[in-house]
Parts: sequence; structure tokens; C-alpha cells
Amino acid sequence: MNTLSPSPIKIMLVDDHPMVRDGLSACLSFYDDIAIVGACNDGTEVLQTAKQCLPDVILMDISMPNQNGLEATEIIKETFPDTKILIFSMHESSEFVKNAVQAGASGYILKDTDSEEVYQAIKTVAQGKSYFGSNIAQMLLASPTNPSNERLTAREQMILSHIATGQSSKAIAHTLDISVRTVEAHRRNIKSKLNIDNLAELVRYAIEQGLVNSA
Amino acid sequence: MPFSFRIQLFAVIQVILTALFTYIFVTNEYRDLSEQNVATLEAFLIEQKQQELKNYTEIAKASIQHIYAGAAKDDPVAQELVANILSTLIYDGHDGYFFVYDEYGTNIVLPTEPYRVGQNYWDLLNDKGEPTIQILIENAKNGGDFYRYPWNQPSTETITEKLSYSDFLPKWGWMMGTGVYLDNVQQQLISVQTAIDEHTDNTRFIILFVAMSSIFVIFTIGTILHFTQKKESDKQIDQLGQKIITLQEDEQRHISRELHDGIVQILVSIKYSLEATGKFLAHQNVEKPVPLIQAQTNLSNAITDIRRISHHLHPRILDELGLSDAMEALGKEFSERTNIAVTITKPALSKLLPDHINITLYRVVQESLMNIEKHAQATKTSIDLAIMDNWLTLTIRDNGIGMYEMNENEPSLHSGIGTRNLAERVKYHRGQFKLSSSRKGTTVVAKIPRSAFAHHYTQKQEPILAESI
Repeated sequence: MNTLSPSPIKIMLVDDHPMVRDGLSACLSFYDDIAIVGACNDGTEVLQTAKQCLPDVILMDISMPNQNGLEATEIIKETFPDTKILIFSMHESSEFVKNAVQAGASGYILKDTDSEEVYQAIKTVAQGKSYFGSNIAQMLLASPTNPSNERLTAREQMILSHIATGQSSKAIAHTLDISVRTVEAHRRNIKSKLNIDNLAELVRYAIEQGLVNSA
Repeated sequence: MPFSFRIQLFAVIQVILTALFTYIFVTNEYRDLSEQNVATLEAFLIEQKQQELKNYTEIAKASIQHIYAGAAKDDPVAQELVANILSTLIYDGHDGYFFVYDEYGTNIVLPTEPYRVGQNYWDLLNDKGEPTIQILIENAKNGGDFYRYPWNQPSTETITEKLSYSDFLPKWGWMMGTGVYLDNVQQQLISVQTAIDEHTDNTRFIILFVAMSSIFVIFTIGTILHFTQKKESDKQIDQLGQKIITLQEDEQRHISRELHDGIVQILVSIKYSLEATGKFLAHQNVEKPVPLIQAQTNLSNAITDIRRISHHLHPRILDELGLSDAMEALGKEFSERTNIAVTITKPALSKLLPDHINITLYRVVQESLMNIEKHAQATKTSIDLAIMDNWLTLTIRDNGIGMYEMNENEPSLHSGIGTRNLAERVKYHRGQFKLSSSRKGTTVVAKIPRSAFAHHYTQKQEPILAESI
């Protein structure tokens, strides 16, 4: 109950289960220095909702019907790089955590975490730090960090598929409703991760890997 | 016995019966026909010979008429003249001649054996046991008739069937006769018989040949048909098996999802409601009741259990992150449990595969790791997933003792159902499956053609894009 805080931390909940959102809201309502300003059901609605309620921290589920929380995280970070994402998921394996971090999440907690810890996690990531639930942190320590830097994120992979089907950065930006600069940034990242520096090679790679169909 | 074999057997029996019937029928028919033919021919030939003999006799009578007509009853000169004329009447090589005996059996003319002239042959018996000369004289006295008997043939010096006609010169009491040997008749009959027999044999051979070739054709066609049907039905069984497996995986995924995304989420919401209740009570300065604490503990256990069941049914990581990460999680868990080091290489891209291929390859990794854990005595394992040269290739290697060693102890386990099943499942996706093993370890390779999944990623992105625009 930090009453010194001038304004409460604005929270947005993303989960396709209203009951879970309600339960969590009920718990978090006991803390004065955080305020739930928005909620939505699915990854595809996240950006729209965030634009309306401008949250400081988004509690993001991973498994959702249309677009999962990891892809949604990347999309939020493109437009709101300062918004912190705290993954709030049922999935326990370290691959999820790694993917979440790669997507730009600041923290990862499990859904059956006590609300007190959820509160602590929110506070921590809001301050710009990382937070991983105690069992998650252990898991990360136990797993040898395979250099997975060369792997593309979901968003990068999607942009690569657009590039491979012959779309310009401008067209891609338009399709995905993001700035051309963002697309260009992704493009640079893709090229550097794949160690490919020209467009033809990029297209050839995407076809060869079966990302797009050559036919 | 399969249905097709029964039909085949039935057809063969039918052919054999038909052939047998035809064979017996044709044989009988030909035998009757040949007997009739031979009899008719013989009668005809004999009749011809008889006519011939009568003609010769007429000619002979005509040639002695001028002497005999004017001769007296006892006229040795005329008799000498007639005997001379008759002994010179030779026809048909040496076999056609005239013989003359008096009515008491004494020979008067016998051009082939002239030394017999003057001797009496009244009591001479032929090979049939009949008194030849007596019968000939009898026939002659009765106005001329034919007699068939075995007799020595001069040209061949053998006993041959002879047909003779004898006539009577009443004034002198002479029996005058001539005969033909029937050897050429017999030969003609035999050659006819032979020709008919040959024909019969040909027909029999044709019947046998047709029957045998029919049986052969029935067998060949039946066998080919049987194997094509078997192949077809095997294929259908395989496809059915794969369909069942696919349905099972679908069902498991469905239940897993229901548990994980439905029931577990509800339980989580209850958990937060209970926590909120606790917080509310604390706010009211009321101590947390024990049943509430118990409920929270039990609920946590329930959530853990259901999540475990859900994961066991279907690994959600496969749907959310794709095969690479699911494989990595599997490898990590395996490594922690068994202390066997696992190295994993995977492509830079992910979630390229449709669900069915995803789960198939996941099961390949799962089953292979299980085999390694149980039998291989390995210390190192590698799992490699790569896409190149139009194929997605999954390779699982270990440095264990290989399959040969395993087989000695547990022959059924490694070459058994599990591996065969995996091979079938991979092939179902137009893929290839290979298991090779040496004393230095075992390698499992599963390959899926790129064409089986190249359309998947972009297709899956489309609805999301459509919604986000």
C-alpha cells in the first residue's frame, strides 16, 4: 500500500478468460497504487485497446485463440516501446520464457502465482526491471542458454514472409499498420540474424525453408 | 481361405471336369467312329477283291473255253493244254495265280510250287484248323464261292490271310480257283486306323492343352488379382490406421485444450476469487478460516494435476511455439531425467508445419528418446532439425551400443510396434523414415518433403492479418 506514489500504475489485462480477469481484478483492487485501466480478449485486439487506455504495464496471457501473447507483445513493443509487458501464463517451460524475452517482455509469471507476487511483479517491471517468478528464475538458471539469437521472432518471420511474396516496406507497413521505419528495423534485424544481405537471397531463403510456397 | 481363392478353386474344378468329360466323350466317339469306318472300309475292300477274283476267274474260263468246250470227259491232251494255260495266268506280281485240284484233292496246277503237282492235299489243314482243299472243292461244286483262310504268300514267304474263289469244271471234276492275299487290305485298314488314332490323339492333346492353359490362366489371373487386392487392402488398412492415429491425436489435442484453456482457467479464476475473499476478510480484520486455506491448497493441487494430464495428452508448446521449441523442451526434460547430454540444432524459422506433421515428428523424437533411455546406454544424443534441398530432415543420433546389442537381449522392443508405427506415420505425410544402427550408436532419420508444408505458414497468417487490418 504505497500511498506515496503520486499516480497509480496503469494496468491492462489481456486474457481470453473473463473469469480469470475478474478474479485477478478482484485481488488487485486491494492495492491502491495500481489501477486496471483496460482489458481485452485476444492478441488481435491488444494494440487497439492499448491505444485507448495507454497502460504502463500489460499483463499478457500467451494462449489465446487468434494471435498469441508473444506475437501481441512484439506488436505492442513496436508502437509502445516503453510499455512493459508482464507475461501471465499457464505455460511453465523455459522455451516460453525465452520466447517471451525475445519478444520484448519484461517479466514472466505463472497464472497460479499468488496475487501478492503478481503485485510485486507489476511493481518491478513498472520500474524498468525484469521480473521472473521464483520457479521460472530457477528454470532459466538450470537450462543452458542455447544461443538462440539467430532465430527470428514471430513478427520478424511474418515480415519475412511478406518480403518474400514481393511486398515493399511501404506496403508491409500499410498492411501491418506500423511505420515504415519499424518495418525497416525488422528488415535489418532479419538480415543480420540470417546473415543475408540482399533481397534475392532473402526471398530464396524463405522459399527454401518452406515459409512461402514457391508456386 | 480367402474368397478369391475359393472362386479360383471352383473355376479350376469346373475346367477339369469339363475337360475330363470332353476327353472321355471324344475318345468314345472316335473309337466308335473308327470301328465303324474300318468295318465299312473292310467290307468295301473285300467286296472289291471278290469282284476282282470273279473277273479273273471269268477271264481264265474264257481263255480255256475253246479247248474245254470241245474236249472229251477223259481227254489228257486237252487237260494238259488247259493246265498249261492256267499255270501261265499270273497277275498281281507273283501272288496272283490259278490253282487246280481234282475233286479228290490231288494237285493239277500250282505255278508257284510246280513240284507239288500230282500230290494229294485232301487232308491238308490250314492254320485255322480247316481242311482248305476240301472247302475249296466244296465251294466249287456248289457253283462257286469265296473262302478266307491263312495261306503262305509266295512273295513274302509268310502266312497271310487269303481270299480265294473256286469254280468247278464239271466235265473233268476239276476245281479251279484263284485267290488274293489280303495283306494290302490289312495295311490299308491299319493306315486308316492309324490316321484316325493320330487324329484322336491330336484332339486329346488339344483338349488337354486347352484345359491346362485354362487352369494356368485362371491361376495366374487369380494370383495376380489376389495380390493386387491384398496390396490394395493393405494400403487401405494402413490408411485407416493412420486415420485412426490422426483422429486420436486430434481428440487428445482437443481434450488437452479443453482442460488447459477451459477447466484450468476456471480453476485459476476460482483461485483468485478465494484469494480476494481472503484479502477481503483481512481487510475486515477477520482471520483467514482454515477451510479457505485448505480449499486454496487443494485447488492448487488440482490445477497442477490437470495441467500435467493436459500436457501428457498433447504438448501445448507444439501449438504455441512450434516443433523446434517443443523438441528442445523434450530434450531438456530428457537430459535432466537421464543425465544423457542432448544437443539440439534447429532452423531459424518456426511454426512452419501443419499440426499433423508437427505431432508426428514430435512423436518420433519422443519415441526415439524413450528407446535411447531404455536400451541404448548412450551418454550423448543429438537432435537436428534442418530444412534443405526440398526436405525437412529430423535426425536423432546417439552414441549408444546400437540396435544389434539391444536385439540380443530384447529383440521385440526395438524393431517392434513403436518404430514401425513411426515409420508408417512419417510415410503417411509422404515422408521417409530410416533407422540405422551400428555398435557406435543408432540414427533415426525422418524426412518430410517441403511440398507437404510450404503452403502452411502463409495460409495460417491470412485470417490473423484479415482481422488485424
